[in-house]
Amino acid sequence: MNYDVRLRLDYVYDAPVAGGRHLVRVTPANLPGRQRVVATTLTFLPVPAERVSGKDFFGNSVDTVAYRETHDRFEVLMTARVSVDRGQGVVDVSPGLPELWREIAGIRTLDPHSPHHFLGASTRVTLDPAITAFAREAAGADASVFGHVAALCNAIHDEFAYDAAATEVDTAPADAFRLRRGVCQDFAHVMIAGLRGLGIPAGYVSGYLRTLPPPGQARLEGADAMHAWVSAYCGGGLGWVEFDPTNRIMAGADHITVGYGRDYADVAPIVGVLRAAGGHQATQAVDVVALEQA
Amino acid sequence: MNENASRAPTAALPKPDLIGSYRPIPGIPDEMVDGAGRVRPGWQQLVSALESLGSGELEQRFERADQYLRDAGVFYRMYDGAQTREREWPLAHVPLLLEEAEWDVLAAGIAQRAEILEKVVADIYGDNTLVAEGLLPPELVAGNPEYLRPVAGMKPAGGHFLHFCAFELGRGPDGRWWVLGDRTQAPSGAGFALENRVATTRALPDVGALLNVKRLAGFFRDFRDALQSLAAERGGSVAILTPGPHNETYFEHAYIARYLGFLLLEGEDLTVSNGEVMVRTVSGLAPVSVLWRRMDAAFMDPLEFRHDSQIGTPGLAEAVRSGTLAVVNAIGSGIVESRALPAFLNGLSRHLTGEDLQLPSVATWWCGQPRELEHVAANLGTMIVGPAFSTRVPFEDRTDTVHGAALDAAGRAALADRLRAEGASLVAQEAVSLSTAPVYEDGRLVPRPVSLRVFAARTAQGWTVMPGGQARIGETLDPSAIAMQRGGQAADVWVLGSRPVDAVSLLPGDDRAVKRNRSGSLPSRAAENLLWLGRYAERCEATVRILRAYHARLADATQPGQALLTETAEYLESLDVDARRPVPAGLVAAIEGAVASAGRIRDRFSPDGWLALTDLLKTARMFEQRVQAGDDASRAMTVLLRKLGGFSGLVNENMYRFVGWRFLEVGRRLERGIQIARAATWMTRPGAAFGSSDLLLEVGDSVMTHRRRYNVNAGPLSVIDLLVLDALNPRSVHFQLAELFSQAIMLPGGEEDGQLSGVAREALRLRTSLAIAEPGELTGERLWSLVVDLGALADRIAERYFA
Repeated sequence: MNYDVRLRLDYVYDAPVAGGRHLVRVTPANLPGRQRVVATTLTFLPVPAERVSGKDFFGNSVDTVAYRETHDRFEVLMTARVSVDRGQGVVDVSPGLPELWREIAGIRTLDPHSPHHFLGASTRVTLDPAITAFAREAAGADASVFGHVAALCNAIHDEFAYDAAATEVDTAPADAFRLRRGVCQDFAHVMIAGLRGLGIPAGYVSGYLRTLPPPGQARLEGADAMHAWVSAYCGGGLGWVEFDPTNRIMAGADHITVGYGRDYADVAPIVGVLRAAGGHQATQAVDVVALEQA
Repeated sequence: MNENASRAPTAALPKPDLIGSYRPIPGIPDEMVDGAGRVRPGWQQLVSALESLGSGELEQRFERADQYLRDAGVFYRMYDGAQTREREWPLAHVPLLLEEAEWDVLAAGIAQRAEILEKVVADIYGDNTLVAEGLLPPELVAGNPEYLRPVAGMKPAGGHFLHFCAFELGRGPDGRWWVLGDRTQAPSGAGFALENRVATTRALPDVGALLNVKRLAGFFRDFRDALQSLAAERGGSVAILTPGPHNETYFEHAYIARYLGFLLLEGEDLTVSNGEVMVRTVSGLAPVSVLWRRMDAAFMDPLEFRHDSQIGTPGLAEAVRSGTLAVVNAIGSGIVESRALPAFLNGLSRHLTGEDLQLPSVATWWCGQPRELEHVAANLGTMIVGPAFSTRVPFEDRTDTVHGAALDAAGRAALADRLRAEGASLVAQEAVSLSTAPVYEDGRLVPRPVSLRVFAARTAQGWTVMPGGQARIGETLDPSAIAMQRGGQAADVWVLGSRPVDAVSLLPGDDRAVKRNRSGSLPSRAAENLLWLGRYAERCEATVRILRAYHARLADATQPGQALLTETAEYLESLDVDARRPVPAGLVAAIEGAVASAGRIRDRFSPDGWLALTDLLKTARMFEQRVQAGDDASRAMTVLLRKLGGFSGLVNENMYRFVGWRFLEVGRRLERGIQIARAATWMTRPGAAFGSSDLLLEVGDSVMTHRRRYNVNAGPLSVIDLLVLDALNPRSVHFQLAELFSQAIMLPGGEEDGQLSGVAREALRLRTSLAIAEPGELTGERLWSLVVDLGALADRIAERYFA
């Protein structure tokens, strides 16, 4: 499936700010065999004094911009044409938990895809006994790893309410869990905490969702802003699989990936220090248009 | 009988018996007394020397050391719950002695260990061969909060990760020294060790020489030279990066910066421009190429590490990756501090160098391995169990660390269950006892547990170890009482040489030509604090003068000037000063403002000046409690005025006329001009109460001059002439503007090629307008516009030099 993706981030400052530096992760990734970026543009307003592009530890594209002049507005505009093909559905060939652990214990690497990065506490996800218990209950004790992942995805969707007013960008997973409410970021964090609690490596995926569903299908939740879902390691055979707990599905042809990390902090769309004394108004607009009917 | 006999009673005064009742604890080594109960030779000399002083003299000498520390402003920040406060530096006056032969073995072990840690860090952030070959569990890297992924793969500028490390040592029951903890993140204590040395030497100058105590200055000189040559390769300056005055060891940061002649910077002083780290100075941006950081790496760049850091510099990680900045120690180095690492360190040492560690770590088991876990579970009675990634020494860590010995059977069973459930996040260490060392208490020496912090620095010749360090001595026999937060004390460490030692100082010797250090550029934040220090000090003085005049009149019952009192109180209120209180909160706040500004530039400020300021604050707070309105308050204000005068005198007579002093002076002149113009506006207005002009003269400290210069009673015109227009009166607004102009042209860019800066031009314009004015022209409106114009000038200075 081919898409045109547009993102506009707009920050209007209450008082002019003197300079600033921002780190941006919004451009879709090239993922051989799954996702291809045909063309992409990234524009900043005002025009930054410095601009550097690079890759972070996990291989995500990062753009850094710096301003030295006073300005009262900051705008990021990203457009991309992306082709997504995740292939056919998966067959569960994943082992049980003890076998997964034995396998991981033999993995002696710290390359970016090593499951070791995704097992313990990370910046925004601490292990929480209540979430671990919830994850354990979601599937039977003798479920396969894939079974655990799928069951937790479904359980979160079924028991949590999508509520943009309930949480903030820095809400801890334990709080979202207690509320049983939140947005894609909260659902992903809770699911990551639960999987890690079970000993299943789990990471955070940031990206976009198709805005308008194919004819006859329901519109997916979270399509009007950047989206987040979960990647879980199901053993060497199946590898990493991606689940979207906000929509109770596996990530499919409607999911366009920007980046991978341990949690939101690793792939936040924008990180910036606003040295302004006052606040700012932020708006985010996302438009993902399918180029063919399907 | 000869004459001497008559003096016998003095000579026969009983000497104190310091060690008669000293009893080491059975089974635990003592630093002073050996296993056979004999006092070791060096200690014997020390004890005799102390005893021969007599108890009175001894305590006086100890007091001399404490006085030195107080005067130097050495303190330690204590955290009690949410509050923090400064505590006097707890010096244990008796040093810890170590013989040179034992020290050399220790120092060789430290140097070896530092180099192995360097290789381990380099591998973790490099090729990860140690993980690939199974020598280091990947979990201990990937799960470690100090594994900073944004710098993975980085090659540190200068080629090394570690430059300055500290090690916490304890002597075990077998008499050997063990490493209890490795400090590679941002080790503190070296400056305190130096201050302990200075203070102890004040108390016992003769004894140190007698024992051939090795000097510390050479160590600091070598490290300073190493950092300077690291910087010279890249062309920028060396700076110390501090989290700021609220950090518990800020004093040390300022002290070392002053001692070594490095800039002391906070994160906001720095900015990154095209991959280079620059310091904002009053002369513009200046490159920094070596940062000796005293903050945890995760706080250094809010863009790439902790997004919530308020003390970092955005873009710093990028500068580090681009190789333009050397950080000491490199960002990410904290990873080898973790408590679980020593479990693998000897294996790593053998793998990396083919040798065992010369200095063993305390026995450590990481519970992420099945066999080790079972060993720990079976021996919980001798184990201390805590978080694998903790960077604290077990005896300092009460919250997360469990002593197996302190648990009952049920508690141990629960701990064993926890080990099996979350073993990978836990580490166990053998519970070790520490040796004891003597501490002076109530006229005698008593044994207390001691640990030793030693320091290693990288130089061109490799690692060098400070011949000394900091001993930490417990308040009770419980080893956890060593932590200074819980009443522990610090002692100097003397390494006893076999030969007399040469003097080393950081001052160049006679054989080197005297070369001035480049004064360097003044960081904008320091300049701003100096300016505000000047303003606050002047604001205090103005307020105190008005309050004194007010209370003197209040005291004098024959004065029929009720209207004047009411109006003065109104005026004070406009300054946020409540005249109903004898020592108003607004006054104390101004003094606190001065102290806070000075506190942020301790590295540029003389200890005497600091002492004068804190004394002023202490006095004001004391007066706040007990001074009564009227005569009592008026006298109290005179005391404060005198102390303020003392501070001003120190600043004016002793401060070097570098650009920093100019900002302080600018602050004073601005504020004095504003205060006088304000007071004149109010007190010379039509309809002002009878006596206002006299009061204004008093506030302007110009009563005598007025009497001499004008043969009339004080009236608005003569007072305005003297306090606003008179170019020779150091209290007049005109005088302040003249001073401001002459400072403004000396500031960076003040006058270039005959062209004045905007600041200088504005100062000159204001000055000229007063130079040609007649007293009669100075209406209330015109006076008030002086206040406004001076405020605008202050804004202009801030925009030009502090932005």
